[in-house]
Amino acid sequence: MSNLPQEIHAYVVGEFLDGEDPADLTPEFDLIESGIVDSLGLVRMVSHLAGAYAIPIDDIPLKPEHFRSIGAIAAFVETATRAAA
Amino acid sequence: MPSLRLCDALAAHARDRPGAVALVLGEQVTTYRRLADLADALADRLDRLAADRGRPLCVPAHKTPGTIALLVAAFRAGYAVLAPSPELGPAARAELTAQARCSAVLTVDDDGVLHRDTVVQDDAAARGFDVPDPAVAPLLLTTSGSTGTPKIVPVEAAAFDRFADWATGHFGLDAGDTLLSYAPLNFDLSLLDVWTGLRLGAAVVLVGQAAATDARRLHQAVAEHEVTFVQGVPLLYRLLTQDDVRYPHVRTVICTGDATPRPLLARLGAAFPRARFHNVFGCTETNDSFLYGIDPATAGERIPIGRPLPGVRALLVDDAARILDGPGTGELYVSTPFQTSGYLQRERNAGVFVPAPDGGPEVFYRTGDVVTRDADGLHWLDGRTDFQVKVRGVRTNLQEVENVLVTHPDVAEAAVVALPDPEAGYRLHAQVTRRPGTTLSSLPLRTHSAAHLPRHAIPSSVQVSDAPLPRTATGKPDRNLIKALHQKGHQA
Repeated sequence: MSNLPQEIHAYVVGEFLDGEDPADLTPEFDLIESGIVDSLGLVRMVSHLAGAYAIPIDDIPLKPEHFRSIGAIAAFVETATRAAA
Repeated sequence: MPSLRLCDALAAHARDRPGAVALVLGEQVTTYRRLADLADALADRLDRLAADRGRPLCVPAHKTPGTIALLVAAFRAGYAVLAPSPELGPAARAELTAQARCSAVLTVDDDGVLHRDTVVQDDAAARGFDVPDPAVAPLLLTTSGSTGTPKIVPVEAAAFDRFADWATGHFGLDAGDTLLSYAPLNFDLSLLDVWTGLRLGAAVVLVGQAAATDARRLHQAVAEHEVTFVQGVPLLYRLLTQDDVRYPHVRTVICTGDATPRPLLARLGAAFPRARFHNVFGCTETNDSFLYGIDPATAGERIPIGRPLPGVRALLVDDAARILDGPGTGELYVSTPFQTSGYLQRERNAGVFVPAPDGGPEVFYRTGDVVTRDADGLHWLDGRTDFQVKVRGVRTNLQEVENVLVTHPDVAEAAVVALPDPEAGYRLHAQVTRRPGTTLSSLPLRTHSAAHLPRHAIPSSVQVSDAPLPRTATGKPDRNLIKALHQKGHQA
C-alpha cells in the first residue's frame, strides 16, 4: 500500500477539486473545514473507499475526523484494511 | 426550556412516569427521572455560581442530555439562555456573548460536570442591543449567519407554547410517540422535535453530529427505537432511503428546510409505508408559517409551500407595494402566532418587522421570499428578492460570501453565483481574479473563507484566474455569464 496516499490524492483531486489547482493540497490540508468535502461528499467518499479497498464499513465506527485530510484518510484505510484482513 | 409550562410538564413526567424514556443518544438512554436528577444537580451548581439573573447564560448547543438538562436547570432558575451553534468559531461566539451581555459560557461534559468560562464584558459591543428578559423570552436562538456573526432571535415562552400546542394537535403527537431529532439543537426545528416532545413526555432520539451523515447509524436509530415522527432536510431522507429500508413505525414525515425533489419523494413513499407526509415552511424569525400535505404518489415536479397555518396571516406584496388579493406573485409578508418580537439588535428590525401592510394590528415579518399564489390558493416559493439562496437547507447570502473573498490580500475581485444542485438545493461557485503578480490558488482562498464563514457558505468550487471578471453593459460582474460558462465547462 505504498501508493495509498497518492491514490487518495488523485481521487480527491478528480472527484472534488473540479479543475482547481492542487499545488497546495498537502496531506494535512483540511478537506472538511475548507468546504472541499461537504456532508454529501463524505457520503460519496465513504462509499468509494468501501468499494475500492473492500472496507467492511458496516462494522467500523466512522467519524468525520477519519476523512479530514488525505493523510487521515490514508491512515483510516490502512487501519481498516488491516483489521479486515 | 422555552417556557414555564414546559418546566412544569417535565417535573410531572419525572414524578408520574419516572421510567419513561426522555432522551436517547447512541447507546445512552436517559429517563425522565434521570433528566430531572441531572437538571437538579446542575441547578445546585448554578445556584452556587450565583450568576446575575439580569444577564443571559451562554450554553453552546451541544446535542447531549447534559446540555439539555443544563438548559432546563437554567430556565427553571430564571435565566435567559443564548444557545449558539457549538461549531461557531471563538471570535464569532465572543461577539454574540458580548452583544447579549452574557455573564458566562457554560458547558457540561460527559460526566455531568459543569464548566464555566467567564466572558469579557464589552459595553461597546452590546450598544443598541436589547437586554433579554428571561420572563418573556427565556431562549435566544440565532440565525445561521452567513457572515460569521449570526443575528440573535429571542423566542418568547408564550410563542413557544402556542407553537407546541399547534404541532401537538396537528400531528396528533402524544407521550407514546418517539421523535427523531436530526437538526442541530440550536435550530428552530428543535422547538418541535426536542422541546415539544419533552413537554409531551414523549421519547426523543438525538442524532449527534458524528452520526448525521452516517446512513447505517441513522437507519439503526429510526428502526431500533421505533421512531414515529421524523422531521428533516432532504439529506436526511436521502440517507434514510439509501438501501430500500422500510420504517413501518413512522406515522409522520416532515420535509423542511429545502425543496424535496420528486424522485426522493417517490422513495419516501416506499420507505415510510404508514406515514403522512407534510412540507413545512418557516424561518427562525417566525417559526413555521406554511404547511402542505404531500401525497408522494401524485406529487408533481415542484411541491408548493401550501397554505398558511391556522392563525397565520400571509400577504403577497408586488413591486408597486400593492397587496395581491387573488392569484399573483409578490414578496411574502407573514405574521405568525409563534414569531419573535424582533432581533435583539434594535436597528436590524427596521424594515424587517413592519406594521401590517393592510392596516391590521399585527406586526409582519418581511421574508424576502418571492411567492406565487395560484387560483386554488396554494402558495409556491419562487426565490428571493435579494442575493440569498439555500445551500443544504441553510440560508446563505451570496454577497456576503463575495465580501469575505475580496478581503484576501491577493484577490482583486470576486463573484459568487448559485448553481441549482439536485443534492444540495444550490451550490456556490466562486469566480476570482487574483492581483497581478500573485500566485494565489483556490486552496489558500478556501482556508481564508473557512476562517470567516460558516461551512455551508464556503463555495463548492473556486476558480482563480488572472483574467478580469466578465462584465455587463452597465459594468457589473456578469453573474449570468459566469454561471453559464461554469455550467458549460461542466458538461464538456
